[in-house]
Amino acid sequence: MQQSTHGGVRSGAGRKKNSGSFKEETKVLRVPLSLVEPVKTSLKVYQSQLKTGVEVLLPQNSPEDVTIPIFTSHVQAGFPSPADDYLEDKLDLNKYLIQHKEATFFVRAQGDSMLGAGIHSGDILVVDKSLKAISGKIVIAVVDGDFTVKRLHKYGERITLKAENDAFDDIKIGSDNELIIWGVVTSVIHRCD
Amino acid sequence: MTNKFALIDCNNFYASCERAFNPKLEGVPVVVLSNNDGCIIARSNEAKALGIAMGEPYFKIRELVRANSVIVCSSNYALYGDMSNRVMRIIRRYSPEQEVYSIDESFLGLSQMPFDLIPYMHSLKDQVKNWTGIPVCVGIGRTKVLAKLANKIAKKYAKFNGVFDIDQLPKARFNNLLKTIDMGDVWGIGGKSKHKLNQLGIDNALAFCQMDKSLIQNMLGVSAVRIQKELFGHSCLALELLRPAKKQIVSSRSFGHPLVSFDEVNQALTCLARKAVNKLVVDNLGCLSMSVFIRTNPFSKKQAYVNFSKSTTFVNPLHSDRALLPIVSQLLRQIYQAQYQFYKGGIVLTQLVPRDAQYDLFGAKDRAALIVGKASHKPLLNSVISANEIGNDRWLPNAERRSPRYTTQWQELLVIE
Repeated sequence: MQQSTHGGVRSGAGRKKNSGSFKEETKVLRVPLSLVEPVKTSLKVYQSQLKTGVEVLLPQNSPEDVTIPIFTSHVQAGFPSPADDYLEDKLDLNKYLIQHKEATFFVRAQGDSMLGAGIHSGDILVVDKSLKAISGKIVIAVVDGDFTVKRLHKYGERITLKAENDAFDDIKIGSDNELIIWGVVTSVIHRCD
Repeated sequence: MTNKFALIDCNNFYASCERAFNPKLEGVPVVVLSNNDGCIIARSNEAKALGIAMGEPYFKIRELVRANSVIVCSSNYALYGDMSNRVMRIIRRYSPEQEVYSIDESFLGLSQMPFDLIPYMHSLKDQVKNWTGIPVCVGIGRTKVLAKLANKIAKKYAKFNGVFDIDQLPKARFNNLLKTIDMGDVWGIGGKSKHKLNQLGIDNALAFCQMDKSLIQNMLGVSAVRIQKELFGHSCLALELLRPAKKQIVSSRSFGHPLVSFDEVNQALTCLARKAVNKLVVDNLGCLSMSVFIRTNPFSKKQAYVNFSKSTTFVNPLHSDRALLPIVSQLLRQIYQAQYQFYKGGIVLTQLVPRDAQYDLFGAKDRAALIVGKASHKPLLNSVISANEIGNDRWLPNAERRSPRYTTQWQELLVIE
């Protein structure tokens, strides 16, 4: 069969190699749909860099959310702040007062029955429900359906809820009383004003 | 490797939240009402025993409530939401795989746990109860559908003490159990499917298991076939560890009073729009479309029932209150008619997109919104509000019997003498 002289490859025809916008060989690649946009954007940036020779920086996702870096001291010529080596976390009262986040509740004390324990009327009590109520702890108790804050005392089988103010009587828990320990008071927050 | 799932479900969650801060409610019938004090949405066991049904309108059971001294609470979502977060965080400690399924239910993946699962789940149950006061029940099974079923059993029979592993039943007893399960109680079988099955005489889970697979597929579709497989113990439904992206944000309410004047309705819808915009901000989203709707009372005998709505779309995604709130009023003006008493309304944000997606070359940043945003610092504090949000507040839903927001408001802490 005679070889055709028409069609086929002609040398020197078509686009010149490496003449595309990337100035080098390219390759077809599968990209997950969710990444198409970011990939396209970064390619565009690269393209324009090639074209102009100027380095283009991508804008931050949300400029107003940029946080101030942790090193905030002024840089003075010659003397970097000696404090920058000693950066520590800020003191967090939550961490100081709360051991078990999920089990901790704030309640407000009313009345003077626990003045001796430093609990004033209006103070906020930090109550941890996860702690075991052992004798000597200040507890939030429910006696026959009513809340009270008192110091728990156990002598064998005898349970007493002690007030810390002579003007108040202790609550002796008898066999016909229902006692539930709601939580253990771990701190008292008292405003001085 | 066999799969293992647990479903942890809080018992009568809303009623239990009320009890956690009010021990006097222990042992007495308690019900919680929906927004605007409309229907029963939660019942303590004592209230269930009185025959009070889920979803029942409150006005229909007023007599029953009075006669039995049932405690009625308006819903207190600030409290329920906080208690739910606490419960879910405790549950998360028990497995690296958690799917929070609803405000009071969570799945756990237990497939590779090197523990004896029943004592392990008992300690979960005890910890949730001790730490938060909320009682939960745990169902364990090879599939999510079985775990859900096991949970029902754990709740129903006191002898299991709140934890039940359905895989430990011998085959015969498992089948006997399935026979007692109503199709409507099988997770994933909705009301319509149940109705179709009942017409074929299939009213319990065992009969459903014995059905021909292709018949189920033809009649109810492939999702029902999956439910059948799950009942057999083949796990088809994986844990959804990531929350699917939001598709729309709806903010609507029944109003505390029927609203007539434009200003009243406008206040209501602007306030509702604010709630929706806050959700947009929290999730870092923008919306490309918004609709506004208002309705009259469908049960009213005095006036016709009407339901007006209007939508609009935006070229650039909007996310700021400054941009969105004025549009609410514009849309409302187009549908509002003075002769009606409106009893419900709301707004819907749809076509949600990531907030900083760029759409239009000319979509300049709204600098004023940035400044106002900074002024209110945290958008949820609402220290800068729109004038339309101020009014006579007649729209506010009724919540006459709401308990204090014990865990989210300093002024409403539990007071102890």
